Amino acid sequence: MTSKVFVALRVRATPERAFAAFVGEIGMWWKPNQLFQTTPRAPGVLAFEPGEGGRLTETLAGGKVFEIGRITAWEPPHRLEFSWRQANFPLELKTQVEVRFEAVGDETRVSIEHRGFDQVPRESAARHGFQDRALLMRLAEYWQAQLAALRDAAT
Amino acid sequence: MARMSSALFYQDPRAAIDWLQKAFGLELTMLLEDADGGVAHSQLTFGDSVVMVGAEWTQDHKSPKSIGGKNTQTVSIQIDDDIDTHCARARAAGAEIHAEPETQFYGDRTYRCRDPEGHIWNVSQTVAAVTREEAEAASGLKITGWV
Repeated sequence: MTSKVFVALRVRATPERAFAAFVGEIGMWWKPNQLFQTTPRAPGVLAFEPGEGGRLTETLAGGKVFEIGRITAWEPPHRLEFSWRQANFPLELKTQVEVRFEAVGDETRVSIEHRGFDQVPRESAARHGFQDRALLMRLAEYWQAQLAALRDAAT
Repeated sequence: MARMSSALFYQDPRAAIDWLQKAFGLELTMLLEDADGGVAHSQLTFGDSVVMVGAEWTQDHKSPKSIGGKNTQTVSIQIDDDIDTHCARARAAGAEIHAEPETQFYGDRTYRCRDPEGHIWNVSQTVAAVTREEAEAASGLKITGWV
């Protein structure tokens, strides 16, 4: 078993629009956060390469490209799954992020489930000394902020 | 932003989360599960409001199911329309209806029920505009703070 962090919110848009904004406009709406730094450098611009196997990259100011993860499920406009690795994770550690887009009336419920973050080792800088529960709560708040930014971008 | 919400404790919070969505139309907006699959924290949203659903995480946090069905507070849900259908949906999901939908002197139609672990929920829909004077005359109560 692995830990799970699940967050969801409603977006006033179709699943098609929400999915397109999520993958196509992530460079514009993504909100970098000090607690969950993807690289030790100043935050860059995120981008997905569409399709299964495509990369989620962060392009830094100097042009260097960091691979955060790879798309493991590409099912527009309903579901997207990708691996997630911060630069401060141990080399072999990958966590998984699953994003779902469900139509509810004329809105879309966008949900994110991030699995495996408890496997970040106790001594890792990525934990900031947090025990599991506090770490997962911070991670949930991080994704809530991302979803709020996506909502504003998609509508 | 200042606000209030309530936390409810269940022997089986995972089942409660599913049930509350099915029965009342609450929507799961946050769930934290530890590596053993235990619910560490959850939030269910209805309109702009949130309740938290969790386990019996200390000796002082108990489900009614563990203390003979006793409740010390109830959560109220205010809905916009069709309370009778809301009640039928809750009943179909297994809610034990304590008080069938009935229009109250203050202009709300309400019903009251218990969820599978015995929490009491109160559901209301405003169906009539009632003035303070009318409500006082109907109830015999002196009412302060009527908007």
